[in-house]
Amino acid sequence: MDIVIDHLPFLFQGAYYTLLITVISMLFGSIIAAIVAVARLKGAPPIRWIARAYVSIIRGTPTLVQIIIVYYGLVDFGIRLQPLPAAIIALSISIGAYLSETLRGALQSIPKGQMEAAYASGLTPVQTMRRIIFPQAIRIAIPPAGNTFIGMLKETSLVSVITVTELLRSAQLLIAQYYVYMPFYLSIALMYWIMSTGFSFLLERWEKKLSIYV
Amino acid sequence: MITIKHLSKRFEKLEVLKDINLEVENGEVITILGPSGSGKSTLLRCLNGLEDMASGEIEVAGSTVNTEDSKKKQLNAYRQIRLHSGMVFQQFNLYPHKTVLGNVIEALLTVRKWSKEKATKKGEALLERVGLSEKRDVYPSRLSGGQQQRVAIARALAVEPEVMLFDEPTSALDPELVGEVLAVIKELAKEGMTMVIVTHEMEFAREVADRVIFMDEGVVVEQGTPDSFFNQPKTERARKFLNKM
Repeated sequence: MDIVIDHLPFLFQGAYYTLLITVISMLFGSIIAAIVAVARLKGAPPIRWIARAYVSIIRGTPTLVQIIIVYYGLVDFGIRLQPLPAAIIALSISIGAYLSETLRGALQSIPKGQMEAAYASGLTPVQTMRRIIFPQAIRIAIPPAGNTFIGMLKETSLVSVITVTELLRSAQLLIAQYYVYMPFYLSIALMYWIMSTGFSFLLERWEKKLSIYV
Repeated sequence: MITIKHLSKRFEKLEVLKDINLEVENGEVITILGPSGSGKSTLLRCLNGLEDMASGEIEVAGSTVNTEDSKKKQLNAYRQIRLHSGMVFQQFNLYPHKTVLGNVIEALLTVRKWSKEKATKKGEALLERVGLSEKRDVYPSRLSGGQQQRVAIARALAVEPEVMLFDEPTSALDPELVGEVLAVIKELAKEGMTMVIVTHEMEFAREVADRVIFMDEGVVVEQGTPDSFFNQPKTERARKFLNKM
């Protein structure tokens, strides 16, 4: 155990990168999801088609493959990304597809009367989306989106293959140095668990805060 | 205030409105009666563009929409109409994520770009008018149906509409809650508001309307003063309808 404690700062740094990648990818993923969900519901046919294709391709391929394509594959087109940006781009694109489906369902679940009431009082379609429909849809989308976020936290371990020193890879580096397996792996498992639980807790609080009107 | 010329409307192959022609004077209160499926709600919803017309022309509060116009021109005219009219729905359609006051002042903040203070002042005055001042910070889910509908009326009044459209405002209410909503509408009638009311409340229609319009199968079958319509209906269809009530 001492060896783990000695190297805790290094593991914490890995955990920091795991969190950083998760939070930033969540943020960009949410923006992508909002655009794609609206495009699928309100876009003109070609835009709708592109959005559908994006969702289908991302959901139909392993995240690991997507990460490798962004990091190694794009080199063929002269795009050479650093590991960290590549990881964030790949994971944002990936989570955006899943979240857009969640959000699309939530948007569709808002009764049509809400839109009509807003239109009738003079709100434009954009104002209606922003002020009336979206806030309600987000409330509905939080629990399923929360699952996606927590899944995302764990999927960040995949980016260890493109040499981002997040939590898993920091453990692997220590193991390569000391040939001690179990203590390091158990420690990072514990750290993943703590982070996931923390996320669940925050999401629950947020959900409660937004559900005040029910 | 409202002019409807040769308005027709189809859902797929079903013709729901057939060559409707109507005029509503400034300050007039019109109730539209008729069996369900007669097209009365659809007609009302055509007036502010919640339904598109198949053909025809409407003029509401000074803005004209003609189906011959470009799409853009029509949308602009509908928007002008919406800025000068208020609508009240059968299912209230209050925004559940906003407080009572928030519901009432939403259009003032978002559309009129009023300051929060100015809008709040106006919103409080409107809530007082419908007798719900003490509910200003409550969410709609905590209100009875009658209270929700009164908030919805206050919300529709916020933009100082020149005409109010009511789509079966009491049909979703428990019988004992109908009265409080009708009282608010009667008050508006007294103040001279131009109103078009689709309703199933015969007594109310009789009491509040300047003119009754009876629709069936997408056409205006008969119209007249409440007295003449309820006492001496001119058409067989109107007689049948009134007998069933």
